[in-house]
Amino acid sequence: MDYEAVIGLEIHVQLNSETKMFCDCPNRPGDEPNQNTCPICLWLPGAIPKFSAEVLEKATLAALALNCEVQQLNAFDQKVYYYPDLPKGFQLSQAHKPLAKNGWVEITGEGGQPKKIGIHQAHMEEDVAKLVHETEGKTSISLVDFNRAGIPLVEIVSEPEIRTPQEAMEYIKALRAQIRYVGSAECSMEQGTMRVDANISIRPRGTNELNTKVEVKNMNSVHNVGDAIAYETIRQAECIKSGESIILHTRLWDPEKRVTLPMRGKFEGPCVPDPSVPQVAISAEWLDNIRSLLPEMPNRKAERFMNDYKLTRDEAVLMSSERDLSEYFEAVTGHNVPPRTAVHWIATQLLPALRDCDQTVTDTTVTPERLAGLLVMLERDEINAKSAREVLLKLFESDQSSEAIVKQFGFKQVSDTEALETIVDEILSANPQAIDDFKNGTAKALGFLIGQAMQASQGKANPKLVKELLMQRLQ
Amino acid sequence: MTTDIFTYIDSSQSESGSGGPLEGKTIAIQPNMSVRGWPTEAGSSALERFVALEDATVVERLKEAGATIRGSTCMSELGFGLVGDSAARAVAEGEVDIALVTDTMGEARVSASATGLFGFKPSYGIVSRFGLIGLVPSMECFGIMAKTPAEIIAVLEAITGADDRDFSMSEDAVLDFGDFDRDQPITGTLGVIRENSEFLDRNESKAFDVAISRLEEVGINIREVSLEECGLFRTVHNVIGSVEASSSAGKYDGVRYGHRTQSSRNWNEMYLKSRAESFGLPVKAYLFQGAYFQFENYKAFENACRLRSGLVKQTEALYDEVDFLAVPTRNNGLSIDETRTIDEIYDLFTFTLPANVTGQPAIHVPGSLFGREKDPGLQFIAPRLGDVRLLSLAAKLRIFAKGDK
Repeated sequence: MDYEAVIGLEIHVQLNSETKMFCDCPNRPGDEPNQNTCPICLWLPGAIPKFSAEVLEKATLAALALNCEVQQLNAFDQKVYYYPDLPKGFQLSQAHKPLAKNGWVEITGEGGQPKKIGIHQAHMEEDVAKLVHETEGKTSISLVDFNRAGIPLVEIVSEPEIRTPQEAMEYIKALRAQIRYVGSAECSMEQGTMRVDANISIRPRGTNELNTKVEVKNMNSVHNVGDAIAYETIRQAECIKSGESIILHTRLWDPEKRVTLPMRGKFEGPCVPDPSVPQVAISAEWLDNIRSLLPEMPNRKAERFMNDYKLTRDEAVLMSSERDLSEYFEAVTGHNVPPRTAVHWIATQLLPALRDCDQTVTDTTVTPERLAGLLVMLERDEINAKSAREVLLKLFESDQSSEAIVKQFGFKQVSDTEALETIVDEILSANPQAIDDFKNGTAKALGFLIGQAMQASQGKANPKLVKELLMQRLQ
Repeated sequence: MTTDIFTYIDSSQSESGSGGPLEGKTIAIQPNMSVRGWPTEAGSSALERFVALEDATVVERLKEAGATIRGSTCMSELGFGLVGDSAARAVAEGEVDIALVTDTMGEARVSASATGLFGFKPSYGIVSRFGLIGLVPSMECFGIMAKTPAEIIAVLEAITGADDRDFSMSEDAVLDFGDFDRDQPITGTLGVIRENSEFLDRNESKAFDVAISRLEEVGINIREVSLEECGLFRTVHNVIGSVEASSSAGKYDGVRYGHRTQSSRNWNEMYLKSRAESFGLPVKAYLFQGAYFQFENYKAFENACRLRSGLVKQTEALYDEVDFLAVPTRNNGLSIDETRTIDEIYDLFTFTLPANVTGQPAIHVPGSLFGREKDPGLQFIAPRLGDVRLLSLAAKLRIFAKGDK
C-alpha cells in the first residue's frame, strides 16, 4: 500500500528580548553559568513573577508575522512536571488561553505551487534551566545553569497539514524568515534559538485518517528535520507492513546514526491556570499600535521588487528573503546601480565573499555605498568584470573607496582604441595559426585571440572593444 | 533566641523610623514572611536553613511606618491548619500589640476567636504578597490580629497600596481611609445567611443568636438573606486550595535549601526521599490530594473553578440587599491544636474560608463585645474593597460595648 505522511510541527522560538520573561535578568543564556539570575528566575520562596511588557510585544509581533489572530485575553498555565531543569515543578506556558490562534505561512509545495500551512496556535512559554552532566573522578554529577531559566519562548503549533520532508523544511524556512523579519528572534536551529519537534503519523494515500502519531525531537538543523521525518515515515510504514501497531511515544533523532530511537517515556503533566500571573488583556488600540510596527513582509516586498525593479521572481524572492539583505539591496540600487546588476553582484559575489570572511550585510565594511561605487564604474565600462571582482576583494581589505582602489592598483579598463589596436596587432602577428583557423571556420580561435589580448593588457582591456577590433582586422 | 511563642526574636531590636503612625507599636510576624537575614522556614523542614534575601513589601512598609518587628511566631507547617500556631497568643499575652498571620482559610479570624481578639482579613489584591512564602496564591493574604480595630486599620493603612513587585495586585485596589469613622452612629443593614444555620451545632447556634439580638438592640437592621450554594464553599476551597498548594510546594526539592536526604541513589530518589522526610502528614495529604486533582481528576478542578466564579457573583449580589454579612466564627475551643486531618481542618474553617474564596474583607469581633467573653464572637463580611467601612463598623461596636462614649 502507498502511504502518505501527516506531519505537524511544534516550533519553539527564543525571543531576543533584552530581559527574561518574568524578571529583569538579561536574556543572555550563553554567559558564565548562573550569572543572569535573581530570586524570581531561581524561583526562591517569596518571589512573584512579573510579566515583561517587552516580551508581550515581541511575541505579538511574531504572532502577527505568522498571520495569527491575536486573542483579546491570554493567560498563563502551569505545565506541571518534575525534573531538575525545572526546580519549581511547573513551567509557565499557555495551554487554555494562548496568545494567538489560526495563522498560516505560505510555502512552495511539492508541485512548485504555493501552499498555505495553517498554524493552530502560537503561545508564550518560559524556557527551563540547562543541565550540565559531568564526572568528578568516578562520581557523575549534574549541574544546573539557570541563565536559560525564564528566557521567553514562543511555541508555534502547526496544523497537521505538512505532507513531506520537503514541505516541512520549506515551512521552517518560511516561518523563520517571517519571524526574523519582524525582529522578534534569531531563529537559529544550530545555535538552539529555534527548536523543532515533529509529530508524524502515516495513512494510506488518499484517505483522511488521522492515525496514532509519534513525536520526534532532537533535530539541530533544518536538514535534520527533513531527514528525521523521511526516516520516521519509512519506519512507520515498515512497522505496519510487518503487522506492528504504532503506539504514541517520543523518539529522538540520532544525527550520527541518522535514525530515530525511542526515548524513555516522558510524563506529560497537566496544565493548571497559574494564580500569580494576571491574565493579559490586549486592547484593540494596543494591538493596532503593535501592528503599525510591522515592516513590509517578504511576500509583499518580493512583489514590489518584481514590479519596481523588474527582478525575476527568483531574484525578488532571494533579495527579500532577509530583511537586512533587502535593505542592503535597496541601498545599493539607491546609488544609481541598475537593480539586476546589484542582484547579480550581491548574490554571486558579495554573499560568498561575506561567508568566506564571516561577515554579514549589516556588519561588513563593504557598505552599500562602497559596493555601489564599484558597480557604477563597471556600468560605465571604466573597469571590466574581472577587475571588478578583484576590486571587491580589495574592498574587504581596506577602507578606501572603490574609485581609489581602481586608481591605486591601475584597474582602469583600457578603452583607448589606439592602445588596444597596438595590442591587437601584436597578438595577430604573433599568432598566424589562429588567424588561419578562424578563417577556416574554427570559432574557438577568436576566443583564443581575445584571451591573448586580455592577457597582454594584464586584464585591463575592455573585452568588447578587443573583440570589435579583432573582427575588423580578421574580416 | 526562641520561646514557646517566638521561633525567632530580633536581637538587634533595631529602632524603626520614628514619627510614623505605628511608632511604638510592636508587631509579630510569621516565619513565612521575609525579613532580610532572618531564618524563614515557614514551619517546615522543607525550608530548613532558608534565610530571606529581601524584606517583604509588608515588612518594609511596617518599618517605614515606625513599627518594631519583634520576631516570628511559631506556625503550622507551611501555614496549613493552626497546629502549634502561637501568633494570637503573642497578642493576647501582651508580647506584641499586633500579629500578622497568613490567612488562607481564616487563620486570623479563628485564632482571634479562640483568644478574644479582633482578627481581620483584607480584600484580596490590596496588600502586596511579595515576600510571603505562601501555599495558595489565589486565596491567601496577610491577616491582622489586634486588641482593637483602630490598631488593625493603622496597620492596613501602612501596608496596603500598589507594589511593582506584586503584579498580581488589583489595579482598582485603592482604599479611602477617610471613610474610617468610629464616631458616627451605627447605620446599615446586616445580612444573616439562612443556610449557615445548617452547619452550626447547638452551642454555636445559641451564641450566634445572642450576638445577633444584641446587635438588633443597638439599632442595627438585621435581614435574613439566602445563599443556597453556601455549602459548596468548603469543597471549592478544598479542591482549588490543594491544587495550588501542590504547585506552590513543588519547588521544595531539598537541593538549594531545606532538608536533603542523607541517602539516595539518583536524583529521583533524592527528591522523593527529601520530600517524604520533610513534610508532615497534614501537608503531605493536602499536596497529594492536589496532585490527584491535577493529574487524575482535572475535571473536578475545572468544576471547582466554575463554581467559585458563581459563588463570588452570588455573594456580591447579596450586598444589593444588605451592607454587611454577619457570619459565625468557629473556634472549637481548645481543640484547634488537635485538628490535623484535612477534614478536621476544613471543619474548623467552615465559616471563615468563604471570604478567602471570594476575596472579600472579613473581620472577626470577639464575644466580649456582646458581653459574653466565653462566646466565640462572630464575623462581619463586606463586599470587595469595603475594608474601611467594615473596620469602622467593628470600631463603633467596640465603643458601644465598652460604653466609651
